[in-house]
Amino acid sequence: MADKSNDPVAMWQNMIGEMEKGLNSFANQAMASPEFSKVMNQVGGVTAGAQKQLGELMEKYLVSMNLPSRAQMVGMAERLQSIEGQLNEIKALLHQVHNNSSAPDGGSGVPKPPRTKRPPSAEGEQK
Amino acid sequence: MNAPAGLDLASIPERIQSEVQRAIQRSIKGVEYIASSGPSLGSTPKDILAVRGTMSLYHYRPMAEEIYRVPILIVMATTNRGYILDMVPGQSFIEFLLKRGYDVYMLDWSAPKPEEKSLRMEDYVLDFIPDCVRRVQQDSGEQDITVIGYCFGGVLSLLYGSIFNDGPMKNLICFTTPIDFREMKLFQNFSDKRYFDVDKLVDSVGNVPGDMIMTSFDMLRPASRAFSQVQLWDNIWNDEYVKGYRMMDRWGSDTLPLAGEYFRQTVKELMWDNKLFNGTMSVGGRTADISKIKVPILHAVAEHDHIVPYDAAKHLIAKVGSTDKEEVMLKGGHVSLVAGPNAVRRLWPKLDSWLGGRSI
Repeated sequence: MADKSNDPVAMWQNMIGEMEKGLNSFANQAMASPEFSKVMNQVGGVTAGAQKQLGELMEKYLVSMNLPSRAQMVGMAERLQSIEGQLNEIKALLHQVHNNSSAPDGGSGVPKPPRTKRPPSAEGEQK
Repeated sequence: MNAPAGLDLASIPERIQSEVQRAIQRSIKGVEYIASSGPSLGSTPKDILAVRGTMSLYHYRPMAEEIYRVPILIVMATTNRGYILDMVPGQSFIEFLLKRGYDVYMLDWSAPKPEEKSLRMEDYVLDFIPDCVRRVQQDSGEQDITVIGYCFGGVLSLLYGSIFNDGPMKNLICFTTPIDFREMKLFQNFSDKRYFDVDKLVDSVGNVPGDMIMTSFDMLRPASRAFSQVQLWDNIWNDEYVKGYRMMDRWGSDTLPLAGEYFRQTVKELMWDNKLFNGTMSVGGRTADISKIKVPILHAVAEHDHIVPYDAAKHLIAKVGSTDKEEVMLKGGHVSLVAGPNAVRRLWPKLDSWLGGRSI
């Protein structure tokens, strides 16, 4: 069998792995400095502010174009979610009623298994 | 002419043939990769027990003929989707638990909506988790519950367990759970209070976007995403590798936004003031001191965890008040500890052997 140290494919894979580690390590060292934090947060702050302003501008533009805004779409999605939530609640209540009125089951129409399992090592002994 | 030491000349034609075949396979599979969707994730049969805003509670349908008395409630990290624990059959932690006879529930999160930006730690610890615990008790008919928390789900579980220390939590299992936030060095630097104005951020964006959270995770290993593409191309002939890559890539890119107030609290109270470690944490005016936790606890940590380094997690076991407590360090990273082939061999059997006897 060929030695891995002479296998060009293994060497390539090893090189890729080492490059990744080296770059990550180098970047981690750079990112650990207070200067990095300062620059990152300055840029991040500006971006967040610009994003907010752009969002407000888009909202006005959509209203003028007689198109639904994101807030309106979100509102519709919320109503749908609320309906889904209520359906789930009804489903859960139906399961509960079903459980109370018939043989115990897992809510899926199949009987619930008994809660009597013991770990293999404890079979036949009391823990 | 002599061959260099270790080089087997006879194997060269075979090797060339194999590489040519792989090159052909790469082209075919590359097209397949682009044209096809990824594997279907999170498909273990389950029922929705409750959905309330960002909170969803699922009950997985039992797969064993006989189950343990004590049900499990898994509390997912608020930044990530729960399907990391339910990838595909054969690589699903949930499926493993079900087949081993556990009754499994999951508290999973969806993206908080804009009007949920005011959700606070109080909502998660004093409302969502207790509500799910009550529903699990009601559905299972059992009072005792084992809680499993993954990453920040572990932090929430610790807070819950320290406040509700007189029950009904019977066992607690934490996966890669940080408690000493000073030791999350890069996150500390990203959120350096001299430069990071968390109030300004939250006030301007409301909920903190998932992209921002994902970028901060990616920045911990900035070269890895690019190199993973190279490795994908290298291994694209290998269906198993591609399947695993697609599962992890989809999950890693599916980072959830965080509710603004909850994020503000996390930064101020945990990252800046390290209150969980110092024992000064309180939620809604109720002291959350983890030394009050007395139930059996298992903490699984990963040897090569770049998100929650061992130094950030190692004090958990020493600080809880339990006498029955164990930390287990396994090979792997933050995600491979709980999902993927390594987890199948390492963490899952360990967890089963620890929990079985404590679930009767």
